[in-house]
Amino acid sequence: MTAQEVRLCGLLLQEHFGNVVEKVGTHLIRSGVLTLRALAHETKLPLDLVKKSLCVLVQHGMCTFGAGRRGPAGPVEYRINCERVFHMLRYPRYIYTAKSLYGDTGELIVEEILQRGQMTMSSTVKTVADRLTHNMPEGQSMDYSEVVSAFSQLVETHFLQRCPLASAGSSSSGAVDTPLPVATQNFLVINSYDIYSTLSQGKRRRSSEDGEADQCAAKKARTDDSECGDDRIYWQVNFQRFHLHFRDQAIISAVSCKLDQSSSEIVRTMLRMSEVTTPAHAAFTQALSANEIFRALLSSYNIARPILDQYLSLLVDDPMEFVGKTGDSGGGMYVVNLHRALANLARATLESVVQERFGSRSARIFRLLLRKRHLEQKQVEDFAMIPAKEAKDMLYKLLSENLVQLQEIPKTPDYAPSRTFYLYTVNQLPTARLLLQHSYKTVGNLMERRLYETKENKRLLEKSQRIEAILASLQATGAEAAQLTEVEEMITVPERQQLESLRHHINKLDSSENQVDETIFLLKSYINSTQASR
Amino acid sequence: MTEVKVKKESTDPVDIENRIKELCLQFPHGITDQVIQNDMPHVEVQQRAMAINRLLSVGQLDLLKNSNGLLYRLKDAQSASKVKGSDNQEKLVYQIIEDAGNKGIWTRDIRYKSNLPLTEINKILKNLESKKLIKAVKSVAASKKKVYMLYNLQPDRSVTGGAWYSDQDFESEFVEVLNQQCFKFLQSKAEAARDSKQSPMVQRNSSLATSHEVWKYICELGISKVDLSMEDIETILNTLIFDGKVEMTIIAAKEGTVGSVDGQMKLYRGVNPIIQPTGLVKTPCGLCPVFDDCHEGCEISPSNCVYMAEWLDF
Repeated sequence: MTAQEVRLCGLLLQEHFGNVVEKVGTHLIRSGVLTLRALAHETKLPLDLVKKSLCVLVQHGMCTFGAGRRGPAGPVEYRINCERVFHMLRYPRYIYTAKSLYGDTGELIVEEILQRGQMTMSSTVKTVADRLTHNMPEGQSMDYSEVVSAFSQLVETHFLQRCPLASAGSSSSGAVDTPLPVATQNFLVINSYDIYSTLSQGKRRRSSEDGEADQCAAKKARTDDSECGDDRIYWQVNFQRFHLHFRDQAIISAVSCKLDQSSSEIVRTMLRMSEVTTPAHAAFTQALSANEIFRALLSSYNIARPILDQYLSLLVDDPMEFVGKTGDSGGGMYVVNLHRALANLARATLESVVQERFGSRSARIFRLLLRKRHLEQKQVEDFAMIPAKEAKDMLYKLLSENLVQLQEIPKTPDYAPSRTFYLYTVNQLPTARLLLQHSYKTVGNLMERRLYETKENKRLLEKSQRIEAILASLQATGAEAAQLTEVEEMITVPERQQLESLRHHINKLDSSENQVDETIFLLKSYINSTQASR
Repeated sequence: MTEVKVKKESTDPVDIENRIKELCLQFPHGITDQVIQNDMPHVEVQQRAMAINRLLSVGQLDLLKNSNGLLYRLKDAQSASKVKGSDNQEKLVYQIIEDAGNKGIWTRDIRYKSNLPLTEINKILKNLESKKLIKAVKSVAASKKKVYMLYNLQPDRSVTGGAWYSDQDFESEFVEVLNQQCFKFLQSKAEAARDSKQSPMVQRNSSLATSHEVWKYICELGISKVDLSMEDIETILNTLIFDGKVEMTIIAAKEGTVGSVDGQMKLYRGVNPIIQPTGLVKTPCGLCPVFDDCHEGCEISPSNCVYMAEWLDF
């Protein structure tokens, strides 16, 4: 765990869960693995607070527990999964994706589950239906079945998954292996047994088919879980699936930028067909034959068969190698080169960082070194067609920022400088790691600035909140217009302007956090894919 | 016995020399000692050697060495007359410089090859320069170094730097202009291909341009005072590849099609970048020069960052 990662985790935990959880979490990250007693002792917090924070973290899947170093008989040890904490940065993106795929219902479902960590289906459906009904005009209400269908769609496409049953004494790792086919089966079983088989609407009493109706009605005030019969079946968001979706989106947009719209549609079809069959960190998708692709293409694209063949051969011939051909049966077997595409995207990210930071000529040198691997200084000047003095200056600047490395090849056993070759080189993987750490630090900086801005203007924010509360209460009791304007004028114009600019600042910082998160996602996928393929 | 004597006396040194010269004319590539011996078997080694030495000193014969041994070649009359009037040392230095061809040779290398002291060399070089037989050319690689070559030779590209250097200065604006022109040509070709709305294969092939086409276009534009060869244009196109704006493919072409080199042709195509500028550089931290010094609580921190303040008010 690098210092920047620990700092970012601390900031995220504080923002979402508060100071106590942040203290416990940061300490646990720094120490690695700890027992409950040790944790309470070292953070000097009361035991029950520590217990509650750990509960919160476990609920969200960020903390895992298992048998410790002393074996099953010894105390349980806890560890934090940092990756899971970083996913909190990406929550807006997940919610937006769910909205674009499944509409408002999907969006609210994902939002609820992200907020609570794990939820049963019944409670999710109820909450979402209530929320939607609340926003609808009077007289209408949200049908439970719509929400249920949205939920089941999310499960079928693997965006939601079942949490594994944590049995006592077994060590469950933080990563949830995907019991996906099992989950779908069980879900269907539950669904038919569930009360939602009958028509139900928001905020109404429900009737169930089996004889538990009276008991359910009686317990209704208390818990929802037990009455619904899907007790202990919790659902959580399948982050990996969302990440695969983001990765596919990145590849498709890259293809459409490089080639054209139709090629990107073909790649989109290919990726959609191999969504559920390709394992997570595979370097290639499953091989698809041209016949299958043609059948799967939506008719709205209007691509004829020979044209499709031409597009496929163009994709294969492209130097970026997004698509590869693995055989000739069935009209040609094609795969999408996932690892190669991620490497190209990461490389484009590195190049764009160098370009924006140091100028286009330095970017030329950087790309030249990426292509030609090892070059002497004189060769760099010749290939890049940059005058010697400027080329030297740029190379040294890149070297000082660690984006470019120097490789010494001696001619004699003593490394005499006059008799050694000095070659410049760029290694893509370590440079990607370096930029990833920079990105973590940047996000931390942005969050701290946001907290600072909020703190500076705390007085003003509180005042505006009080005024709004007064206004709301006055409106509820039906005050006159004159009273309302009087209350509104309590905020002066400069204060209003200040509030406006504060809002603008905070929005800007928020959106830039999301943008940096995109960079983090690309670099992290590339690094994971490279490590998996090693 | 007397006959033998007569024969011996009749081999006059001049005759030997003339005979050798005739032999050289017969074999323009040069003759070895063996050939002279075969032709005049009655001539003794000493006389032969003397004749050859005389011809060499007068400057009518050239001594060359190849893998088999020594070769003698007739020097043409013009160059023979040039060095008349110079002494042996000068002739030696002149010969060394001539051998260096159009790459030129440095004073230190002349010294090594001729084993003459430095002062002598300098005197001889000044002499030859005043006679307009050699000239000094400044090398572009090391600006203090001077290389010497024959007066009427064109300096080689490696010394002057070729088309991109004028008077030892790298012409960056010229290169930039060429860069942009080539890119515009390729980009317009790609756009024309895209707008033509034909089948994708045809579209792609029509957006490709061979290096020959680009070369012709640049020549016709007439922005270059110097004649540019196809290799020059290819180096410019390579810089465009390193800018990420152009990609290249090599195809096999029939020998004889215009623009093909060794049975291959290079094709270039303008491309778009595959991603937008990444999120990290849209924030001030991505471009900050003091990024590594920034920590919370220090003088430079996110809370009091001037770059962020400016960026937020934008």
